[in-house]
Amino acid sequence: MVPPIRILTAVPICDGHDSAINTINLELIRQGVEVIYLGYHRSAEDIVRAGIQEDAIAIGLSSYNGGHVEFFGEVVDRLESARLQPRIRVFGGGGGTITHEDAKIMHQQGVTRIFFAGTPLEEIAKYVRSEFGNVEQSAYLPGTQAPDQTLARELTLVEKGLERPIRRRAVKRSTVIGFSGPGGAGKTTVIDELVLRFLRSQPVEGRLAILSHDPSVVSSGALLGDRATMIYSQNDRVFMRSMATRGTAGGLSASTERALESMLASGLFESILLETVGTGQEAVPFGIQKSLADKVVLILSPDYGSRLQLQKIAMLDVADVVVVNKSDLRGARTAVAEIETRIRGNQRKQTLIRTQANRHRDPGVDQLFNHLFADL
Amino acid sequence: MSSLGQIVSAVEDYRKLVAARVQAARSDQGVGQELLAKWRKVKERIGTTVTPTGLRLPRLALPEIDDPGEIARFLLEDGVPGEFPFLTSAYAEQYLEPAAPAPNGEVSRQPDPIPEEPTRLFAGLGLAEDTNERFHYLSRNQRNKRLSTAFDGPTLYGVGSAAGGVLGKIGEGGVSIDTIEDMEHLYAGFELDQPNVSVSMTISGPAPILLAMYIGAAKRRFGPDVMPKLRGTIQADVLKEIQAQNELIFPIDASLRFLADMVDFCSKQMPRWYPISISGYHIAEAGATPVQQGAYTLSNGFAYVEYFRNRGMDVNLFGPRLSFFLDCGLDIEYLALARVCRKIWAIGMRDVFGADGRAQLFKLHTQTSGRSLIAADWRNNLTRTAVEIMLACMNATNSCHSNSADEPFTTPSEEYARYAAHAQSIVLEESGLFKHMMNALSGSPGMKIVGNAVENAILEEFRNIDEQGGVVGAVERRYQRSQIQASSHILERQIYGGIRPLIGLNRYADPDGSWPEVPMIRTPREKKERQRERLDDFEHRHAGQSERCLDRLSKVVESGENVFEELIKTIEHCSLGQITERLCDVVGKFRPMV
Repeated sequence: MVPPIRILTAVPICDGHDSAINTINLELIRQGVEVIYLGYHRSAEDIVRAGIQEDAIAIGLSSYNGGHVEFFGEVVDRLESARLQPRIRVFGGGGGTITHEDAKIMHQQGVTRIFFAGTPLEEIAKYVRSEFGNVEQSAYLPGTQAPDQTLARELTLVEKGLERPIRRRAVKRSTVIGFSGPGGAGKTTVIDELVLRFLRSQPVEGRLAILSHDPSVVSSGALLGDRATMIYSQNDRVFMRSMATRGTAGGLSASTERALESMLASGLFESILLETVGTGQEAVPFGIQKSLADKVVLILSPDYGSRLQLQKIAMLDVADVVVVNKSDLRGARTAVAEIETRIRGNQRKQTLIRTQANRHRDPGVDQLFNHLFADL
Repeated sequence: MSSLGQIVSAVEDYRKLVAARVQAARSDQGVGQELLAKWRKVKERIGTTVTPTGLRLPRLALPEIDDPGEIARFLLEDGVPGEFPFLTSAYAEQYLEPAAPAPNGEVSRQPDPIPEEPTRLFAGLGLAEDTNERFHYLSRNQRNKRLSTAFDGPTLYGVGSAAGGVLGKIGEGGVSIDTIEDMEHLYAGFELDQPNVSVSMTISGPAPILLAMYIGAAKRRFGPDVMPKLRGTIQADVLKEIQAQNELIFPIDASLRFLADMVDFCSKQMPRWYPISISGYHIAEAGATPVQQGAYTLSNGFAYVEYFRNRGMDVNLFGPRLSFFLDCGLDIEYLALARVCRKIWAIGMRDVFGADGRAQLFKLHTQTSGRSLIAADWRNNLTRTAVEIMLACMNATNSCHSNSADEPFTTPSEEYARYAAHAQSIVLEESGLFKHMMNALSGSPGMKIVGNAVENAILEEFRNIDEQGGVVGAVERRYQRSQIQASSHILERQIYGGIRPLIGLNRYADPDGSWPEVPMIRTPREKKERQRERLDDFEHRHAGQSERCLDRLSKVVESGENVFEELIKTIEHCSLGQITERLCDVVGKFRPMV
C-alpha cells in the first residue's frame, strides 16, 4: 500500500477564519490524506517549525484576513533558509481576498498554487494527491542538515517502513513518559501544561520531544490535530511529531517503537512524552511490562461511568501515575475515592493526582510535573 | 438544570397561560368585555398620518379583530409594539418619519422629535487617521453620527503591530490600534459627548483594553466627567468567540471575569454605553443555521446574565445595558427570527431572572449576511443585501448595517459603502413601507407559522445545551462549535450540489464571467511601517512608567479587584500588546478548540 500523503494545514497569525480550512481538511482526510492541522492564528515561525518537525510534503495555508502576500512570502523564505530536500511546498487560498494579481506575486515568491473563490473541494483534493503523491523523501547524509531536520526525515522513513541509516546510540538517555487515557480526558492539555512548566523551569538548552498519536479513519486518512490545542509546545525547545495509527489497534502505531528508538538515539531531548490516542478500557498501549516507557501516566476524567467500569480499566493496573483531570467537575471527589480504592488493591506504588489542567497555574499539574520530572 | 432548562419551562408555561387566557376571554363574559374595552383604548391611542399621496392611515397597524379570544391572543402572544412580550417591536415607535404636512397642507399631528436613523456606518482600514477620514466622509450628510469600527487582525488578537510576522496584517480588514493615541486619532473631530454621536467597536478578546483606551481618549478631549455622556457599544462577546469566531485571547474563566468587571463598571458609571453586544452574527457567518444562530445567541445571553447575577450584580442595573447583534440572511427563518428572539428573551428575563421592563428588552442590531455575498457576478450582491434589509426591518431591528457589494474581495470601497447605506435609506425613507405606519408588514400568517416553528426549534436546542450542563459546559465539550461546523459543511455541500441556488454561481452563471474589476483597498507598506514607528515611539516615551503600571495591573488581577478600573489607568502608559502579554502571563492563554 502507498503510504498516505502527510501535509500540514494552518491559518495565518491574527486570523481566525477556520471555516474553509475545516471543510478542506475533512475532504482531504476523506481522500486518504493525513492532515496535520496546526489551527488558526499561527505565526510563520510556528508553521515552518511544525512543517519541518512533521516533515510534511506540503503546507496548505488558508488566509482570509489580508496580508497574505507578506505572510506566504515569509513562510517560503523561512523554508528556503532551512534548505530542506525537497523544499516543503506551499499552497493555499483565501476566497476572494487573494486576487489574481496577488497570486502572481506569490507564485514568484515560490508558492506552488493559489486556489481562488469557488474552487470545488474535489479540485483541491485532486491537486494534493496528484502533486504530492510521488514526492521523493530520501535520507539526509549525516551532518548535512540541522539535527531536527535529520530526525524528522528519519521518522518519515521509519513510518514508511524503509531502511534507515545506522546511527550511533546517543550518550544521553531521555526519559520516556507514556500518557494514555480515554478521549476527552484532557491528555493534550495536561501534556501541554507540563511542557509549559518544563520550559519555564529548565535551562534553555533543555529540550523535550512529544510523539503524539491520532486515529486514522477507515479510508486511511487522518486528522492529526493535537498541535492546534498544544499552544505552549509550539516552541523551538520542543520537537513534536504527530503520527496516525494507520490501522493499528491499541492506541499507538505499528511504527511507534522504531520512531521512539530514533528519537532516543538522536540524544536531543531530556524527556520524550509519548501520547496515545483516546483508549478503551482494555488498552495497555505501552505493554504490560511497560517496555515502551519509563513511566506511565493514565489520565481519566471523573465521568468514566460506574465503579464497575473502573474495574475493567486495564491501565489502572499498569500506570505509575493516575491523574484525575477536570477535578472541578461534579463527581470528582467520588471518582478520586473510587480510583484510590481500586488501585489500592494492586498493592504497588502508584500515585494518584487530581488536576484541573484547563486552569492556569493549576497546583495539581504542578504536583504532576514535580513528580514526573523530579530527576531533572 | 441550568437556567436554560428553567427558561424552556418558563416559555412553555407562558404558552399555557396564553391558552388559558384565550379560553377565559371566550367563556367568561366579564373578561371578554374587559378585553374589548382595552382593545378600544389601544386603538384610540393610535394617531393618524397622511401620506404624500394623500392617503390617511393610522400610525400603527393592528389586526382587524373583535373576538375577545383573538384579542387576548394578540395582546399576549405578540403584544402591541413596545409591550411584553415585544414580539412585534421592542419600542412603541420606530422608523416613523415625523408626520409631514400633507399635500393639502393638513398636518396630521404634532411633529415628533427627530427620529433615530437605524443606519450604522461600518468602517475600518489602514491607520487611525484613515478610518477617521472615512468616518467623516460617510457621516457628512447624517444627522446622527453612528460610527461602527472594524479592527485589523493584530488589534483583534491583542498583538502589537511590532510583533514578528504581523507587518502584512497591519490595517488590513480594519483599523490598527496600538495605543490611546491611536484611539484619539480614530475619532478626532467627532463630538463624542453629544447625543447625536455614538461609537461601536467590533472587538471581543481585548475589548476591556480597547474600551479603556476609548474612555482615556474621550477624557483627554472632553474632560474627566465625560463618561456618563459616552454613547456606544463594544462587542465583548467572549462566548461566541469560542463557538465561532476564534478571536479569544484569555482562557474562558479569565475572559468572563474581565468582561464582568467591565459590565459592572459600565452599568454604574456609563449609563449610555452598551458594554456587550451578544452576537449571533459570527455564529451565522461561520455557517450556523438561523435556528442555531438564535438559540446560541440567546443561550449565551442567558449564560452571561446568570454569571453576572452569581457575581452579585443587579439584573435591573446591567440588564438594560445588554444588546444583541444578529445576522440576517435570505433563509425563510429570517422572516421571524428576531421577533422570536425578542419574545424568548423577555420571558426568560422576566420569569426566570426577575428583570423589570427595561431589562426585558432584546435590543437588536442587525447586519446583512456577509456569507450570502459572492464574487461571481458580484453586483447581484446589491439585490441580496436589499432583500436582507427588508427582512431586518420587517423584524423591527433597532439598528442595521448593510454590507457593501464588493465585500467578498475587499474592504468596502467608498462607492459601495455609500450604496449600502443608501439601500437602507431607500427602504426606510424613500419607500412608504416603514415610514408612515408601524407594523405594516408584521404578523402575516406565514410570519406567524415560521415564527412558531423557529421558536420550537430554539427551545429544542436549549434542551440539548441544558443536558450538557448549560452553555459553558456545552462550550467545553465543543458542542456549539461542532454543531456550527456540521451545518457549515452541509451548507457548502448544498451549494456545490446546486441544492441551494446561488444566482450567478451555480445557476445562471455567466460562462464568460471574469474576475470583478474592483479596486482593492490595501494598506501601503509605508503606512504599516509608520504604525510600527508610532508604537515604538509611544513605548519609548512611556518606558519609565509602563513596567510599574503593568505590575500594578497584575496585582489587581491577582487580588480579585475590578480589572477594568485599573485598565483605565494602565492604558495611559502601556500599549495593547504590552497589556495583553502581561495579562497572558498572569491568567494564561486561551487554548483553541478545533
